[in-house]
Amino acid sequence: MLREHFASAEDELIACILPREVRALPREKDRDRIENLYSKVDIYGLVENLENCLQCGKCTGICPVASLSPSYNPRQIIHDILNGSEKRWLESEEIWRCFWCASCYTLCPVDIFFPLLMMQIRYLALASRHGVKYFTPFKRFAQRAREDGLTFAPGSPKSRERIMKIRSSIGLSPWPEISDRAREQYKALFDLTGTTAFLESIREEEEKPLALTYLGGRITRAGKKGRQTGK
Amino acid sequence: MQGKRVVKPENKIPEIPQSVFLFRSCTGSLEYPGTENAVRETLRILGIEVVMDPDQTCCSGYLLTCSAHKPEVSLAVTARNLALVEGKNLDTYTFCNGCYGYLSELSHILLHNPAYLNMANDLVAQWGYHYEGRTKIFHVQEMWYRLRDRIADQVVRPLNGLKVGVHYGCHYLAKQYGILDDGGYPTFHEELIELMGGTPVFYKERQLCCGYAVGRGFTHREETVQPHLYKKFISAREAGVDLMTTVCPGCNVALDREQPNLNKRYSEDFKIAVIDLAQLIALTLGVPVQKLGFEANTVPLDDVLKKIGTEKGS
Ligand code: SF4
Ligand code: SF4
Repeated sequence: MLREHFASAEDELIACILPREVRALPREKDRDRIENLYSKVDIYGLVENLENCLQCGKCTGICPVASLSPSYNPRQIIHDILNGSEKRWLESEEIWRCFWCASCYTLCPVDIFFPLLMMQIRYLALASRHGVKYFTPFKRFAQRAREDGLTFAPGSPKSRERIMKIRSSIGLSPWPEISDRAREQYKALFDLTGTTAFLESIREEEEKPLALTYLGGRITRAGKKGRQTGK
Repeated sequence: MQGKRVVKPENKIPEIPQSVFLFRSCTGSLEYPGTENAVRETLRILGIEVVMDPDQTCCSGYLLTCSAHKPEVSLAVTARNLALVEGKNLDTYTFCNGCYGYLSELSHILLHNPAYLNMANDLVAQWGYHYEGRTKIFHVQEMWYRLRDRIADQVVRPLNGLKVGVHYGCHYLAKQYGILDDGGYPTFHEELIELMGGTPVFYKERQLCCGYAVGRGFTHREETVQPHLYKKFISAREAGVDLMTTVCPGCNVALDREQPNLNKRYSEDFKIAVIDLAQLIALTLGVPVQKLGFEANTVPLDDVLKKIGTEKGS
């Protein structure tokens, strides 16, 4: 009885608001809007729970870089990526500051592993040739590592000699024991996975200027001193 | 931080292995070779055989996190190195938080994404490698803590109350699941310092990152790294730290090599020696100082060695 009464009252209400045939669809789900937006950044599918972000800001609260440069804000970066407006970050200097310390992850209530997102944000920035100067030193290190099978093995004979002297004096082999076979295979993996080509493809002279940078407490247009936006 | 994220050392390493595979760290064998030697000597004294292999390469994680390797290469390198260890039926022990973090993370990705695992195994099959995920990844600091009783029993050169401030390093603590201690407030290094006769110092910024992470020391040294490290050293000095220990040769580089630069820039006089925890343990277990390679350090250890009662060369 009662149920019938409510059912008909509800029908009546709806009927007087809008006829069924012209009623609009309910508001779309967030998921419908954000799907494919952040997969554009999470190219390798390593941060699959980004849309769980609560925007609580704990990450930014603990972030040592944010504490030194307030324009660096991991929560804001996630917000913008979820909304498909990551472009301004890709063209910024800020994204190159992250220490990858993962302090943000240790506090995040939903376990978002932000560093793996940051790694991919930087790939995207490089794809449009932004921030190349923050990549160039590592390009050189990577090209050396490809030959050595080791990272940061010094190239200059003097530094090599110094290390070999210390190692010998404490009873180790003069150079870390790494076989020729290991070095060749390491190198081959660089070539086979396209990493060698990737490194060569990003050239210093193609660098695009960064659009925004942080200067003395204000976001400014990079390269145009004194012209500040967003005062 | 929830209690269940934390693993007891006795659960993490139920049986003390006879041999372990020691994963060579590039920085730990090149920048501070004393670290490699200290780890080997300490394991030997504690009764564990060390197996290494010249076919092992760099873990390739560091430059990946600098966005200078494609993930594909690092995944394949991980599969290759770990398959090499699996061939020996051993577990993998690292002595660098980087190697530890990258090997755990990359093997996790491999083992949870069949497509990546197949790609990596296809690439390394030509050399007879096949990664299955049998070898477990540990950091030697876990072994030190597991063997804390053996260490306490064998101390021959106690630290005489030396004030030691430890640095855990992000890439261990940030694993946060399955690590030995509460990543939010760890104390197991301090416990080790205490049983070696030292005085652990809980300086305020002890959990602050070393700042050299993913190469910011090369790109943002002045803007970010130095002001960041300045905070850390101010707090360490205030708390009276005589010696700082690390478990990551990368952190060691940042904390040791950057001090003269901080002194210049901020007109300061920081001179806190920074060594690997393994070097300190080796020292207390009686390994001769000349086998520990302290001449690779920027901040000299003379004062520290004097306090422990062992001058250089003894
Ligand atoms: S801590 Fe986690 S949930 Fe909170 S804003 Fe940061 S990423 Fe989002
Ligand atoms: S990983 Fe990057 S964003 Fe996260 S806390 Fe560290 S510096 Fe901040």
